[in-house]
Amino acid sequence: MTDTTSTSATPQLTPAELRTPMQRMLREALSRTSFKVGFGMFLALLFGALIYPEISSIDPTKMAVRSRHIPPLFLGEKWVWAHPLGTDHLGRDLLLRCLVGLRYSVMIGICTVILMFVVGCALGLISGFKGKLTDTIIMRITDAQLSIPMIILAITILGISRPTAPAIILVLGLAGWPLYARVARSAALAEKRKEYIKGQRVLGASDWRIITLFVAPAVLPPIAFVAVLDVAAIMIFESILGFIGLGIQPPTPTFGNIIADGRKYLINSWWIATMPGVFLLFTLTSLNLMGSAMENARNNVLKGAA
Amino acid sequence: MLSFLTRRLFQGAIVLLIVTFAIFTLLRVVPGDPARLIVGGMAPDEVVVQKAEELGLNDPIPVQFIRYLGDLAQGDLGNSFFRPKSGATVGAAAFDDPSRDERAEVRDLIFERIPLTLQLAGLAVVFALLMSFPLGVAAGLNPGRWQDKLAFFTGSVFVSIPNFWLGIVLAQLFSVQLGILPSLGYKGFEYTILPAFVLAVGISPFIIRTLSVSIAGVMQEEFINVAPLRGLRRARIVAAHAIRNASIPLLNLFGIQLGSLLGVLLVVELIFDYPGLGRLTINAVLQRDFPIIQGVAIFISAAFVFINIIVDLAASYIDPRLEY
Repeated sequence: MTDTTSTSATPQLTPAELRTPMQRMLREALSRTSFKVGFGMFLALLFGALIYPEISSIDPTKMAVRSRHIPPLFLGEKWVWAHPLGTDHLGRDLLLRCLVGLRYSVMIGICTVILMFVVGCALGLISGFKGKLTDTIIMRITDAQLSIPMIILAITILGISRPTAPAIILVLGLAGWPLYARVARSAALAEKRKEYIKGQRVLGASDWRIITLFVAPAVLPPIAFVAVLDVAAIMIFESILGFIGLGIQPPTPTFGNIIADGRKYLINSWWIATMPGVFLLFTLTSLNLMGSAMENARNNVLKGAA
Repeated sequence: MLSFLTRRLFQGAIVLLIVTFAIFTLLRVVPGDPARLIVGGMAPDEVVVQKAEELGLNDPIPVQFIRYLGDLAQGDLGNSFFRPKSGATVGAAAFDDPSRDERAEVRDLIFERIPLTLQLAGLAVVFALLMSFPLGVAAGLNPGRWQDKLAFFTGSVFVSIPNFWLGIVLAQLFSVQLGILPSLGYKGFEYTILPAFVLAVGISPFIIRTLSVSIAGVMQEEFINVAPLRGLRRARIVAAHAIRNASIPLLNLFGIQLGSLLGVLLVVELIFDYPGLGRLTINAVLQRDFPIIQGVAIFISAAFVFINIIVDLAASYIDPRLEY
């Protein structure tokens, strides 16, 4: 009996039409080659970063004076299988150091984007939904924050306080929220005018109830969908900080500080600075391929809905 | 038009005030005593106390802030803590060394470096446009075909290249191995080429993407469809109609991306030891030269606000339908 009532309530809808926009975006993204390639690359790299340092008998920070400046596989004369990407000026294995660097980089990237997303979207939703004075105040603060380049803010704070992983996440997250606030605000503005929100108002729902139960679920998923691109951007940023010497401090390897170290040995051992860069380039390309595919998929779905 | 300008300028002034206050407070509450930094570690405590009194560092922060605003209104950004007027370093000099007296004015330090930074940024934008226009326009005209995929892929790879790493690799390749282009310091125009190229690689993905999306959109508009009926050649339709309309999102993008452009600029200048605003800033941060950091941050925010107003004006000039 229940079967017949439910089918008669929505008679002409095929399964494809019943999907929520989010499901449609995911399906659309998953069907793209660039997404599959990026996702595969990223999983492989992440898997390597999580597993290899654990099973390898080498310590990424241990120095071995005898095996200094060993070139990567098949390059030069004295390459060895034990060090596929070669070793640095202190005889530390570069592959291992890159993978450990990747762990930190991905961790910082993801945590920062989550922080940016939460702070930015919360402020943006409130600003767009409440309007009037609240809106003006929040948006002027957003403008002010947006007009201070993230890098100046980051190096000012990190140059003065001790750069640890939580400090970096906090600084980058707090410097990067304005863009999310703007997007969330304009989405909330559009959603606010819709009939069902007005209906909630008439029913006497409080602002908080409407924002958390109705506006946020409708507005946030498409924004979150393209956050992958920001993870890549933050990872570049983290490596820049490391390069200037304001990232996670040595001996913990990060892409930035490996490259900064390797820069001094460019003439003799070009691979020390080059390899981490190639590694980072692959990781970021995988993330960006994934992110752009998701962005395109989202735009297609949203265009179809409008 | 006039009311738009006054409104935007007023809003811009408020934004600047917030920025100034935020930076000012931030630099006052962080650890590190400016007076001690100025006179050096070897100075006796009385000298430090005297210096702090002289600089008014003992007053409450709001009082200091008002005083700073007063100076700012007269165009005075204060003096650097460390950089002397003559250009010689005072890093290790004793506290009573005469070279510690004459400090360079932050305003002069900034304005000396602006032409070089502008030259770098300008050349980079030219390179970026040269790289992205063919790719972006071709992709926009052929959505879904190989041109589109090529642009997509190039953009994804370019945006993934860490700029500081690219700088090192290119410097190694072109300056050390091939010896074609110089890459360290600044002694002539050719020193701008490599840094500008690295910057351009950083900006072009955004231009390619915006161009291809907006041209693909414009090409479906009715006025493009009927243009051949009016006897217009395709080249003219694309150049005069499609690209002109697609350039508005590009302008807006420029306004929004300006902040990240500056970020990349800073790093590129540092890598190539290019004596522009970026190197000044990073060195100031590493030395904790607060007046310079403060001055640069305020200057950049002002430029940001100002350029965004210009962008809006230019957009309404290109497309008169847009409201201010």
